[in-house]
Amino acid sequence: MNRADFIIYWGGNPADCHPRHFTKYTLTPKGKHVPMGRKGRTMVLVDVRETPSVRAADIFLQVRPGKDFEVITTLRALVKNQPVDQARVAETGLTLAQLQDLVGRMKNARFGVIFFGMGLSMTRGKHMNSAAVLALVAELNAFTKFVCMPMRGHGNVTGADVVMRWTTGFPFGVNLCRGYPRFNPGEFSTVDLLVRGDNDAALILGADPGATMPQPAIDHLARIPTIVLDPKVTRTSRLARVHITTAAMGISAPGTVYRMDEIPLPLRPILQSPYPTDEVVIRRIHEQVKAKPAWLPASFKKVPCA
Amino acid sequence: MLRITGGRVYDPANGIHGEVKDVCISDGRIVAEVEGTGVRTIDASGMVVFPGGVDVHTHVAGAALNFARAMTPENQREAVKFIHSPELRAGIGGITPTTFATGYLYAGLGYTTVNEAAVPILSARHTHEELRDTPIVDKSCCVLMANNELVLDLLEEGETERAKQVVAWLIWAAKGYGVKAVNPGGVAAWKWGKDAKILSEPVEGYSKVTPAKIIASLAAIVNDLQLPHPLHIHCNNLGAPGNISTTLETMKLLEGYRAHMAHLQFHAYGGDGWNSLRSEAATLAEYFNAHPNLTADAGAILFGNSVTITADGPWQHLLYQLTGHKWGNLDVENETGCGIVPYVYKGSNLVNAVQWAVGLELLLLINDPWRIFLTTDHPNGACFWRYPEIIHLLMDVDFRRERVRKLPAKALKRIVLGDLDREYTLSEIAVITSAGPARALGLSRKGHLGPGADADVAIYNENPDRELMFRYPRYVLKGGQVVVEEGAIRKVVDGREFIVHPSFDENIEEYLRPLFEQYYTMSFDNYPVEMHRVEGADIRECG
Ligand SMILES: [Zn+2]
Repeated sequence: MNRADFIIYWGGNPADCHPRHFTKYTLTPKGKHVPMGRKGRTMVLVDVRETPSVRAADIFLQVRPGKDFEVITTLRALVKNQPVDQARVAETGLTLAQLQDLVGRMKNARFGVIFFGMGLSMTRGKHMNSAAVLALVAELNAFTKFVCMPMRGHGNVTGADVVMRWTTGFPFGVNLCRGYPRFNPGEFSTVDLLVRGDNDAALILGADPGATMPQPAIDHLARIPTIVLDPKVTRTSRLARVHITTAAMGISAPGTVYRMDEIPLPLRPILQSPYPTDEVVIRRIHEQVKAKPAWLPASFKKVPCA
Repeated sequence: MLRITGGRVYDPANGIHGEVKDVCISDGRIVAEVEGTGVRTIDASGMVVFPGGVDVHTHVAGAALNFARAMTPENQREAVKFIHSPELRAGIGGITPTTFATGYLYAGLGYTTVNEAAVPILSARHTHEELRDTPIVDKSCCVLMANNELVLDLLEEGETERAKQVVAWLIWAAKGYGVKAVNPGGVAAWKWGKDAKILSEPVEGYSKVTPAKIIASLAAIVNDLQLPHPLHIHCNNLGAPGNISTTLETMKLLEGYRAHMAHLQFHAYGGDGWNSLRSEAATLAEYFNAHPNLTADAGAILFGNSVTITADGPWQHLLYQLTGHKWGNLDVENETGCGIVPYVYKGSNLVNAVQWAVGLELLLLINDPWRIFLTTDHPNGACFWRYPEIIHLLMDVDFRRERVRKLPAKALKRIVLGDLDREYTLSEIAVITSAGPARALGLSRKGHLGPGADADVAIYNENPDRELMFRYPRYVLKGGQVVVEEGAIRKVVDGREFIVHPSFDENIEEYLRPLFEQYYTMSFDNYPVEMHRVEGADIRECG
């Protein structure tokens, strides 16, 4: 907001998915070092199709589906003045001239930023695409100031990620079955556990996997005792064995939400709710579970701590 | 009530150096005497009794460290695991321990107070949330100020008085304890991809503000506000060959003020490039010894894995270019920023060998232990749980020389460590790990065992193997409760947080509010950390 004069959105449609992003953070505001606001900035949108975000862009680059990685790699080569294969570039749906123009603009920016969305991180190439963007941005810092930031999904997913990191050391896909945290996305991620049918109960908080996950995962949730904490009826709550109605965070329950850039914001309730907060419910469940005997055998020897 | 009896007591703040005497505890504090029935006794015969350790400069919580945790799952994988039990939370030790593990590891080492040395105000709420999840130890925070544009803009306009009001307001908003200056002006310049290498040159984006002006102004402001801890400063040009001149210049700017120089090891290099890097610890120590207004912490390095995390963004970019390793960078709006690079210090590497020596040389050449404290700038130089290795090196000259001989031959010409025969006494170790840092932080109830002090006590089995001795305390008491026994956590208590409330003119909010609305992405009312988020707040009114 205060600095960026060159902004790229890649694989995302903020006009629909993050409606406040343009007006509050990136494009419109008159920033401290970008006093002209929108006129002082250039915005490039890179996506596989035309979305409502195109209207806000100065330049729209339509990439062929599944070719993001190739485009990023070509840009990295151009940044370092390496030769590139014209025919290969043509396969991406963009011309060499377009990419050269983009590299020129990136290098000439005073402060550049790339926001990359799930159209990049969740399509062909997945984390390879994200890694390539990170490498591109790191390398651009040899020429000018460049940063990047992922555009995350809905709700307080960033908050969950942040808290998981400080309590377990890992952001997601954490397994505590052995009594200590282990991390292996693809093995311990929720969707993998559910599809394999590894877990025999589920407690779901602030999410609606019944609406987003593949059918085998949903079938497993319906099969096992599933408990949902949610202020409203959702696809998941309908298939759950138990649905506990809780107060809505930010409307009738206080709390903290982490923005996509990991800055925490306090939530202040504006209404009273007859329902308990998620925290109260979880604490009560925890009290009951704690009253049960420990799962470690009495003969278990403790590991020294230092 | 409790009586610790038969141990040799090291309480240098009260002039006690290894005398056998009782330490009595009642209601969480040290008292002169306990009487009557119901007094529990700890037999400390054959043991030494220290005040609980105080870490003056560490990074244990907040956005940057948490980012580092996410960046290095490979480190977590091989780290010590904490298995959950009815008393303990699960967690991971290693280079960037999880919050609960951090509390267990510090307590397991005999440390009971830690100062988190770099807190951005905008994400201070996050830091306090992590500190609340860091059990047993008491905590305080230094708030990053030397690149805050609200402050820098006022210095540019020569509005020093208003700058003071803003600093005071910001400390209270962040629920901080002290003021930290990191690479003054350099982090602000980094937002344009630049650095601030010369103290007398204007900072990128300003015409009058120079690093020198920022340093002197902040030292004066902290002084005027009568904060218990003086300005905590991380000099410009961290880690760069030849940076001794910048460090000396910074110390000269601070004449007439109290100041704490952070991780001095990273600021004591001669030479004009990586190939000619040499130790300037002797030059630095000579100046430092003659200037009692200064305290410092060592920021020593040990060979092995680390993750470097600092608000010094430009240095981290350089380190990334040098190592080709992973690099994370965070810019925190108009306030600060940070960089994160995993790093391995190798004994066979000339630069690392010199760095290793410089940390120890400073600890040995600065002759007043009350002014130089044991730190590794955790996790930058090494992890805090490796402090006992440094204690061993300080207390045993033969062991140290043996290690020096293993360094590359080229390194030996660039260091003086091999010539130093000073050996630390137990009393001096108690000073650099507890009494000294407590005094520098202005924590009058920490770092000593006199009546009225918090009953934070570390009891070690006397052992000629100093590393082993300090790695596994026999008992650790926090607030009078036995929290560690024979290396295992016995009881988990909550820690407190020390915060200061400097006095400021409430009208400063009318000045700040419109600036926030214009330049911040967070609303003014959401910015200050609410008091209820600070666990066990211990508020000190200042000024
Ligand atoms: Zn530090």
